[in-house]
Amino acid sequence: MANDKSSMQLITRGILSENPIFKLALSMCPAVGISTTVMNGFMLGIAVLFVQVFSSVTISVFKNLIHPRIRIPTYTLTIATWVTVIDLVLAAYLPEAYAKMGIFVKLIVAFAIITMRLEMFACKEPVKDSFWDGLGMGLGFMIGMMVIGFVRELLGSGAILGMDVLGFKPLLFFILPSAGFFVVGLMMAFFNWIEIFYKRSKGLK
Amino acid sequence: MKNIITIVVRLTVSCLLAATVMGLCFIFTSNAKKHNEHVKEQQVMYELLGYQAGAKFPETMALHEVYRFVITGGGKQSIGYLVPKGHGGEKGFLFVNIDLNGAMLAQQNVALSEADALAPETRNQAVTKVVGPGYEVKFADQTIVVTNSGHRVAYLLSGKFQGFKTFVNVMLAVDPAFAILGLEVLEHEEDPGLGAEIDQDYFKNQFKGKPFEALKTIEVVKAPIPADYLEALNGKIGEEGILKFREQYKDKAVYALTGATISTKAVAGGVQGIVTKFAYRIAVLDKVVKEQQLAVAF
Repeated sequence: MANDKSSMQLITRGILSENPIFKLALSMCPAVGISTTVMNGFMLGIAVLFVQVFSSVTISVFKNLIHPRIRIPTYTLTIATWVTVIDLVLAAYLPEAYAKMGIFVKLIVAFAIITMRLEMFACKEPVKDSFWDGLGMGLGFMIGMMVIGFVRELLGSGAILGMDVLGFKPLLFFILPSAGFFVVGLMMAFFNWIEIFYKRSKGLK
Repeated sequence: MKNIITIVVRLTVSCLLAATVMGLCFIFTSNAKKHNEHVKEQQVMYELLGYQAGAKFPETMALHEVYRFVITGGGKQSIGYLVPKGHGGEKGFLFVNIDLNGAMLAQQNVALSEADALAPETRNQAVTKVVGPGYEVKFADQTIVVTNSGHRVAYLLSGKFQGFKTFVNVMLAVDPAFAILGLEVLEHEEDPGLGAEIDQDYFKNQFKGKPFEALKTIEVVKAPIPADYLEALNGKIGEEGILKFREQYKDKAVYALTGATISTKAVAGGVQGIVTKFAYRIAVLDKVVKEQQLAVAF
């Protein structure tokens, strides 16, 4: 882990070098199951972003009070609390958005990525850094979901954001869950390839 | 041992903290949530009556809530109705108790505001007070009578029936001759992609325009929906075309959803049950109201 942790670095790390989906390969179930359209990916991404930031900050604030033997139950409890709070607030004040996002929000409790960030980062680092790390990871997850959603929506239903752009459906297979694995796999290969290419061009080997 | 105690204490404290946060959040949001649900319900009602979002609801139209109770006591059962005497509960409500043969047992004025009548606790309290001790009051359902300048134009019925998995909660609009004006599925837990299609327009619209006679013997047929009819059901053709198809198919069976015949049958049977029972009940209530010259809002 880098020693100089500026906010910008923490954010870009979450989006690029440690992207939760393409690099850490965490939370694959939602990535495969829900990312059938760009909008779905975005909705879930936003929800994860909020829960991740709030949970990271909470755990970081209370890190000295959490008994090491019961840290995982405490994380789960924290995540569940924030998920419930967001669920209630959305249902009360943004009913339109809730109608679309409701089912995604409840899924987040079981997301590996959030627990993992709490365990790896928030329970050791200061509050400020945890906030940026949570934001970066949340954004990385959201962008990853949207990219997968973009590919699947375009190839599966020939549309982007629900608007028909191709006029036909190239490969219906891509909206099915199994195709999610193909897309994620190809994306991983693609991003690794870019990274290798980038490092070589900088002479970093 | 000391470790265990610390762990137990800390876990308890964190659970209590989490519960407090969630509880507070629930208290602060529950009113807004209820309000949203109410607004949504209103919107569903207007849409069922043919006023889409944005269309203005005419001021001559009025909605009158009628509450039905089952009253048990002294080894007998009777049906109690709480009917409004004027629009918006201004003049209070009238409680009419009718026995199972359709004869009126008692009637009494109940001073209850509309908001109090909408809330289950205050409504039940008021009715329990009216029927007196020794009788058990159980709320059965509520119906909305829609009038336009004093004439009845529709009834809004809500009901619940067993679907394939759990209960299906619907709201129906029927005209005074009990032909279906619209069907809306409020809540269900059918399988996505199969039974869950019951909340799609092409399925719900099959019920639109079905007359009471056809509804009494409604059947479900396992066949694909003809392509031209499907377009009409999805609202892809003009208003005139849709009406023509509705007329053509009004006495025909409902097309089963692919892979969800049980859900389809449940909805068809449920709708049939709600409407036929209501037709009987409203006839009894109307007869009593007419015979006793009761002053009610509709």
